[in-house]
Amino acid sequence: MAKFSRKQLLAGTLPVVAAAPLAKLAWPSAARGGEPLAIHEGHEHPLIGHAAMIGDEVPAPGGPHALDALLIPPPALPHKPGRLREYNLTAVDRTIQVAQNVEFNAWTYNGTVPGPVIRATEDDLLRVKLVNGGSHPHTIHFHGIHPGNMDGVFEPVPPGSEFTYEFPARPYGMHLYHCHATPLKKHIHKGLYGAFIIDPPKPRKPARELVMVMNGYDTDGDGENNFYTVNGIAFYYAKYPIRVKKGELVRIYLANLTEFDLINSFHLHGDFFRYYPTGSSDHFEYTDTVMLCQGERGIIEIEFANTGRFMFHAHQSEFAELGWMGFFEVQ
Amino acid sequence: MASEAVAARGYGWRLWALVPLLILVGAVSLLASSGDSLFDLLGRNPPPADEFDVRRVEFKPGEIKIRVTNPQRQDLTIALVTVDDAIVPFSVDGDRTLGRLRSATIIVEHDWVEDEPIAVGVTSSSGIQTTEEIAAAVETPGPSGKRFLGFALIGFLVGILPVALGLAWLPSLRQVSPEWLAAFMALTAGLLTFLGLEALSEALDLQAALPGGLGGTGLVLVGFATTYLALSLLGRWLGRGATVSGLALATLVAIGIGLHNLGEGLAIGTSFALGELALGTFFVIGFMVHNITEGLGIATPIADRERVSFGRLAVLALIAGAPTIPGAWIGGFVTNDLLGVLFFAGAAGAAFEVVTEVGRYVRERAPGGLASPYVVGGFLAGIAVMYVTGLLI
Repeated sequence: MAKFSRKQLLAGTLPVVAAAPLAKLAWPSAARGGEPLAIHEGHEHPLIGHAAMIGDEVPAPGGPHALDALLIPPPALPHKPGRLREYNLTAVDRTIQVAQNVEFNAWTYNGTVPGPVIRATEDDLLRVKLVNGGSHPHTIHFHGIHPGNMDGVFEPVPPGSEFTYEFPARPYGMHLYHCHATPLKKHIHKGLYGAFIIDPPKPRKPARELVMVMNGYDTDGDGENNFYTVNGIAFYYAKYPIRVKKGELVRIYLANLTEFDLINSFHLHGDFFRYYPTGSSDHFEYTDTVMLCQGERGIIEIEFANTGRFMFHAHQSEFAELGWMGFFEVQ
Repeated sequence: MASEAVAARGYGWRLWALVPLLILVGAVSLLASSGDSLFDLLGRNPPPADEFDVRRVEFKPGEIKIRVTNPQRQDLTIALVTVDDAIVPFSVDGDRTLGRLRSATIIVEHDWVEDEPIAVGVTSSSGIQTTEEIAAAVETPGPSGKRFLGFALIGFLVGILPVALGLAWLPSLRQVSPEWLAAFMALTAGLLTFLGLEALSEALDLQAALPGGLGGTGLVLVGFATTYLALSLLGRWLGRGATVSGLALATLVAIGIGLHNLGEGLAIGTSFALGELALGTFFVIGFMVHNITEGLGIATPIADRERVSFGRLAVLALIAGAPTIPGAWIGGFVTNDLLGVLFFAGAAGAAFEVVTEVGRYVRERAPGGLASPYVVGGFLAGIAVMYVTGLLI
């Protein structure tokens, strides 16, 4: 075996020895001392924010009155026990626009998500006919007091057939209805739900009445909502603010039908309101933020103290920025 | 007469060759005109995935630019854009609906937060959201003379310099016995095998990330076969048919390493431009140590007997090391994954071709041929050296 001479060995290590000082070239210059506190220059901040999310800039589909039928409930009728109140609901599969340019293959009652507002006065006889024009068995499960065979759980209505629910409307309050066919999660998040108002025997004070059903849409099927709305279209009331008058009594029938997320909430800017949980008694809380579990609902009453534009939105920032945000225009 | 008959038969044969093509055209047009009726026999097609391919996300002051491609056959529409799960106003530099393999750049005015993770999402009209998560938002530098020079300097430090240093081992190599020289040749082959495998794996990884229509292992094979065969021809030409000489082999090794370094530069430039790589001193030192062995690989074949002028050595160092610089430029300023696949596949092809040449050389000239313990040990040592110095990077 050939042996390296001392000289050869030294020559052999030359490149490595040379590398050391050269590597210093790449070493950073001596570390800088502590920097003094200074206002961060940052980069140019563009004017973004809620200002860009008002009016025509808002990405929301639909025209200025597209959601009127869902926002404005039918009028309350005086107390008259035994009066018949009839509603027809047809379950249909329909592709709806839930956000700007975004379509969702929904299951609907009467073609909209949420479904139509059902309203009765306590002690009315409610007769609701469900026609299933969809592709899966559906039901209507009403919240309220009714016989077990009218509960929308044990009598799934197959596609192409129908079923009529009949029961006295009670107790008074803000309620809701939804499909209770299995799998429940699928039938609810696809859009089968709506607001159900029962007026008390003693009429409520006259007011500007509004219905707001909070919901979400999982458009990519990953078990998480991609959009949040009130009354079905993301950012709709940011594009078309709800016009009300200063000092007038505004009554909002609020329900949460958001699937997947544990809770939803309603927060109003610039004012306080009375919140009546379930709307079933005179008990109220004076606040500007309420939190609702899925299926929870209540009545908000407010007289705006100031004119101007006031935001309302979910106080989960994520929900607000994914569509659950709007404005009141107080005149 | 006889030759005419041959000619006629020749033409007939050529005409006959067109017949299958004509029948194919007929069959294709028949199928195309029948619409989907054939496939209706089989059942419904599943809906398209409607996912975008997010190619590149750039951060400018107060602005995010998202480059997206439609990877599927069906059209894909950009409906909404989200940043960190919030719907944001945006504009598109063209049509919002993208045909197959069409790309568009989405511009979002956004006050992003430096150095913090950020997720950008592009939602299709069917509500499918494609989300790209960026580990840390850092301003994407634009092209400038300073950056151009910076990449050149990095390329010099990790490419040319270590190769030149490795070549400085030449005087020592000239003194070693033929057995040891064979061991060093085998070491070179080991290094190149390691580099080739590394490049091949990189090419396969990159092609897998390309949109379906552009990717495919075939693309890797194109790059691989092209450089492999081109270098074979070059070797044949340099060696004039016989086994290549020492200098010719050194040139081939230098070319192989040069192509590898082109890919290496590309990787450095791209990773840095996309904010995936922190270019630091340690990184550069790691590459220098890693690449010094490449110079050794070039020096070994010429340590045999030929005297080689200093100028030639300098040229060899440039062939092997300089491509790092254009590689870094391309990676830093252009960023094209397709090019990346071809570069890395090409580097792999070149490396394996040179390994073949070195093997041939060793088999013919080294004492004991390929089976000697020096050769086996040298080859394994080459792989080990690459692995260990690679840990530094």
